[in-house]
Amino acid sequence: MSKSHHAEKATGKGDPQMFKGEAGPAKFKVGDRVRIKDLPDLFYTRSQVYTRGALGEVAVVTHESPAPEDEAWDNVDKPEWFYIVRFRQKDLWPEYPDAYANDTLQTELSERWLELA
Amino acid sequence: MAEKHKAAPMVEEVSDFEALEMAVRELAIEKGLFTADDHRRFTEFAHSIGSLPAARLVAKAWLDPEFKKLALEDGVKASLEVGIDWLNPTGFGTPSDYTDLRVLEDTPKVKHVVVCSLCSCYPRPILGHSPEWYRTPNYRRRIVRWPRQVLAEFGLQIPEDVDVRVEDSNQKCRFMVMPMRPEGTEGWTEEQLAEIVTRDCMIGVALPRPDVKANAKRPVHKAIHPVEHH
Amino acid sequence: MSSRNTLKQPKDAPYPDTFDHARFRECMRTPHDVGGEEDVPMQYEEKEEEQWELNTYVTCECLAWRGAWNAEERRRRQNVDMGNSLYLALPYYGRWLLSAARIMVDKQYVTLTELINKMDEVKKRYE
Repeated sequence: MSKSHHAEKATGKGDPQMFKGEAGPAKFKVGDRVRIKDLPDLFYTRSQVYTRGALGEVAVVTHESPAPEDEAWDNVDKPEWFYIVRFRQKDLWPEYPDAYANDTLQTELSERWLELA
Repeated sequence: MAEKHKAAPMVEEVSDFEALEMAVRELAIEKGLFTADDHRRFTEFAHSIGSLPAARLVAKAWLDPEFKKLALEDGVKASLEVGIDWLNPTGFGTPSDYTDLRVLEDTPKVKHVVVCSLCSCYPRPILGHSPEWYRTPNYRRRIVRWPRQVLAEFGLQIPEDVDVRVEDSNQKCRFMVMPMRPEGTEGWTEEQLAEIVTRDCMIGVALPRPDVKANAKRPVHKAIHPVEHH
Repeated sequence: MSSRNTLKQPKDAPYPDTFDHARFRECMRTPHDVGGEEDVPMQYEEKEEEQWELNTYVTCECLAWRGAWNAEERRRRQNVDMGNSLYLALPYYGRWLLSAARIMVDKQYVTLTELINKMDEVKKRYE
């Protein structure tokens, strides 16, 4: 019957600020070209299927936090860096019109999902 | 018309959801998972939030380049200047909204629109409660892939030389759009400007206009036992 | 990738040798991952909130505030563990409420017996 110790650690700081410094150095930086890995979807993920295998660019390095795959079971011991990755819509959807070739979509992914392209 | 403000009758039916809701809340309090006072306090917080602080943040940013810079660099710090402390009401933030607000700046080249395709994540503390349509699978399915079509349904035709950027809010960051200041607002005060920055503008499905002070009218699905407002 | 939330097949509990990788992925797909699925334009509406819906939201946040769960545990139960069919069949706040009930039982804060008895007791107040 364990309770999350969230409040103790986070009070006065907030979440994700409470995990600052716990993930070590960020592997990626703004501007890096990355590909989204297609890791198994077993039980839980917040990495959308539409991003898998897609080529994107790191737009923002946001914060350190446990990955949702872990936090969803209250396993908060191994935070990762998170990144907002920007994709060209044309690279996500085959039918996206050429007329809007510069349209983009960005979404946030934890470090385990990215590899340098 | 007379039914609109009908008081709840003394003896009435409860739905399965209402019965379960009471059971869960009463048991949680009985078992010490939270107190009745906690529930009251958080309910007050839920009643207190709305879109005006976010509108004021946008208006301030329009008027003050230094504040705009702060808003774009540190949304949580900028929120303090419009009276919103993202650590409220628990001291570490709301459990669902976290404490990492990002403000997305529309430019002549880029128009932003926000969605949470996985659920309905939304910057409640500064923008209030999300609209019903934002939570629907329909909006979440379509806006990421056919944004211009969906925006057209909202009445926005985005020109070809403006790029549409969808922000799919799927982790702990929370997003609001800072739309561009419209023509016809020269010399306006912060208060006047805030009035035209509606919730829909800050989700990204509407553009502020000098003559529009409310979200576009949509059908409102009524509740059987609506929330009693303070 | 645009599989909808139904997994119709000719035989229940199929033999594993008839089950390929694509089918495995389909079954493992998380119900909440709907971005990019096809859908038709619909009238977007506002909705008046039920009192029970507000109470549910507050209960879920209070459970997390005082440490029974965190929001991500809630989202997992509410948006994925619910399963494909119930994900679309239930009202939005119905899933919040069922997940709050579920966490209390799963983490043994209450027994299912206690929860059922309480529901029964509550319903009897309105008969």
